Amino acid sequence: MHLGRTHNHTWRKIKSALASGIAFVSAVLVITPLGLVFFYLLFNGASSVNWDFFTKLPAPVGAVGGGMVNAIVGSLELLAIASVIGIPIGVLGGVYLAEYGSARLNSVLRFLADVLNGVPSITWGVVVYGLIVLRFKGFSAYAGGFALALIMIPLILRTTEEVVLLVPNGYREAALALGVSRWKTIVHIVMKTASKGIITGILLALARVGGETAPLLFTAFGNRFWNHSLSQPIAALPLQIFTYAISPYDDWHRQAWAGALVLVSGIFCVNVLVRILTRGRGAPVV
Amino acid sequence: MATPEQSVTERMERPAQPSVSAEPAPPKLTFEAKNVSIWYGEKRAIENVSLDIASNAVTAIIGPSGCGKSTFLRALNRMHELVPKTRMDGTVLLHGEDLYSKTVDPAIVRRRVGMIFQKSNPFPTMTIGENVVVGLRLNGVRNQKFLNERLEKSLRMAALWDEVKDDLHKPGTSLSGGQQQRLCIARSLAVEPEVILMDEPCSALDPIATAKIEELIHELKSKYTIVTVTHNMQQAGRISDFTAFMYLGRLIEFGPTTKIFTNPTEKQTEDYITGRFG
Amino acid sequence: MIAAKHILGTFDESLASLRNNVLMMAGLTQRSLERAMKGLVDRDDDLCANTIADDEEIDQLEKQMDKDGVDILLRFQPVASDLRRVVSAMKLSTNLERMGDQATTIARRARKLNRHPTLSEVELIKPLYEQAMWMFKDAIDAFVREDVDLGCAVVTRDEKLDELNHEASRKLIERMAQDPDQLRGYLNLIFIGRCLERVGDHATNIAEDAVYAAAAQDIRHPSLTATT
Repeated sequence: MHLGRTHNHTWRKIKSALASGIAFVSAVLVITPLGLVFFYLLFNGASSVNWDFFTKLPAPVGAVGGGMVNAIVGSLELLAIASVIGIPIGVLGGVYLAEYGSARLNSVLRFLADVLNGVPSITWGVVVYGLIVLRFKGFSAYAGGFALALIMIPLILRTTEEVVLLVPNGYREAALALGVSRWKTIVHIVMKTASKGIITGILLALARVGGETAPLLFTAFGNRFWNHSLSQPIAALPLQIFTYAISPYDDWHRQAWAGALVLVSGIFCVNVLVRILTRGRGAPVV
Repeated sequence: MATPEQSVTERMERPAQPSVSAEPAPPKLTFEAKNVSIWYGEKRAIENVSLDIASNAVTAIIGPSGCGKSTFLRALNRMHELVPKTRMDGTVLLHGEDLYSKTVDPAIVRRRVGMIFQKSNPFPTMTIGENVVVGLRLNGVRNQKFLNERLEKSLRMAALWDEVKDDLHKPGTSLSGGQQQRLCIARSLAVEPEVILMDEPCSALDPIATAKIEELIHELKSKYTIVTVTHNMQQAGRISDFTAFMYLGRLIEFGPTTKIFTNPTEKQTEDYITGRFG
Repeated sequence: MIAAKHILGTFDESLASLRNNVLMMAGLTQRSLERAMKGLVDRDDDLCANTIADDEEIDQLEKQMDKDGVDILLRFQPVASDLRRVVSAMKLSTNLERMGDQATTIARRARKLNRHPTLSEVELIKPLYEQAMWMFKDAIDAFVREDVDLGCAVVTRDEKLDELNHEASRKLIERMAQDPDQLRGYLNLIFIGRCLERVGDHATNIAEDAVYAAAAQDIRHPSLTATT
């Protein structure tokens, strides 16, 4: 039997190779800028990432030297405040959407959460400025943390909801059939099964807000010294980078590169951690 | 054992089976369902089903897909309420108590009436040991010694103890399909129910695993009342004492299994079990 | 009488094949009995020889039917009416085969009788034959048409057949006393009578199996204490 003309076959092979080639080139084009960014950061910042950077406070304006220890610690403090507010609300809200509620209410809530996820982060900063900074007449860590929490909440809510919905219904039924009450089923069985996914969602949200600068501009405001009270302004790494980068001082530029490198590396590590966590079998993951 | 010296008639002197025509004493009843109708939204799933389930016996519910047998089974432990927008008419009595009265907590009902599902579902985040006692732990039992005793007892009753006694720390999902189903049975037995409902427990299992579960059902029925839904009529014939045939939400016929499978009263029943349906 | 067809076509075909074998075997058995009797009455040795030879076919059919029956049980796990029909068909084949053997015995004895001058007492056997054949035909009819009343009727005729046999034997024993030269001949006739009586018993069995297949009633051995 004649299996078709070889001319067609050759042409098909050429087309296939062409398509593969274009796809490969596209992939390279996508990765290249990311790689360039990272290597540029590395190139410019690596030399400045030293012990001083992690241990010293900023030097007086104009002087050379000093570090960003207060900014690093400040970022961590802000993330802690944001977590305390944002994680419980986000997780419990996500669980509510997945397990309870009426269909109509839930779809409205979901829509709202998706919209909020798309709101530019500076808007949150402005909102918190009006709500807290003006009210209490001062920039504070509370305000900064709260702004970050507002960004985190819809994010965590949606990822938690998705992961909880992925838990097979068979487990819920099995637990209920043992006479376990509904809320205990949700906490001990459903959430435990989805725990990896929930944690993943939380980590990703933390990675996201850890690098946010705009909402902190009018809330945390930044601080050249240690923050001694949460109702005072506080330094944060992205803020510090911003301040240093637009300054006229070369030494500050150098430190800004270092800060950017540290920030990107931190986010990178969190993502690697997420990858490691999600390698386990059994539990559904994001 | 008979020896060759005994005559043929002596060897035949065994306790006679009760004759088919004699009526057995009315069996003790676990469930009495009267005029049960269930709606899912607008659709009526079960219409006016009245059925009595005998104690310490196996009752099988058979019928084509969509006939309402799973819905009826779930009505026996209020699991059908998990579907939104269900409505129910009629009564279901468990040892004379109304299961659906306002004062009854569904969780308590489900502790007394356990359920095994078609797809075995041991909790993936727990070990074998934890799986078995999870019902007790989540209901407040803390005494470790008591839990360990119950663990062994339930696994023995489910004919699984010898196979897993050294592996109790391994994840529940590391067992084979048939073993997982027996693990689920042990998990149900651990809370000491009175009734075990089984929704097509063997349909996902190979023949040997199925046979082991059937044997287990046979052993369990002396202590528990068992109601099973099955698609497999030969299985219904093998394991059950009573059989109910449902079609399009109605109960068509109910009676002792031997009668249903040798000489059913309703033509629809006969047509279904002989494969003349459709 | 089968109302609807099975979804599984091969099941229907197998049941039909079994049924046809029952009919075929019944036909052959009937033919054997008729030939054996004709060979006796008309003193035709060829007919007797044919009867004896054709029993082989009946025997093979019994084996075939048992094999087919087991095959159906194995493959289709029949229940209810299907199960009863298959089990009854298998039991029928045994009874038909025995009837065939009775026909062979009659043919052999007829051959022996034909070597000697005609005996007028052959006439005594005719009513037995007619009663037995009547029971046989109706029993098969009852099975094929699933006629419960006909089956029960056949069972009641067995008593009459036993009486007829008893009567014929008694008369033949009288003749044996009166005419000792023909002893052998009369003895053969008595044996032929007994064969026909056994044919009636087998026909009764067939009728009982027919009633079981049709109505799931076991009318065998009614006990004295059971209520009918």
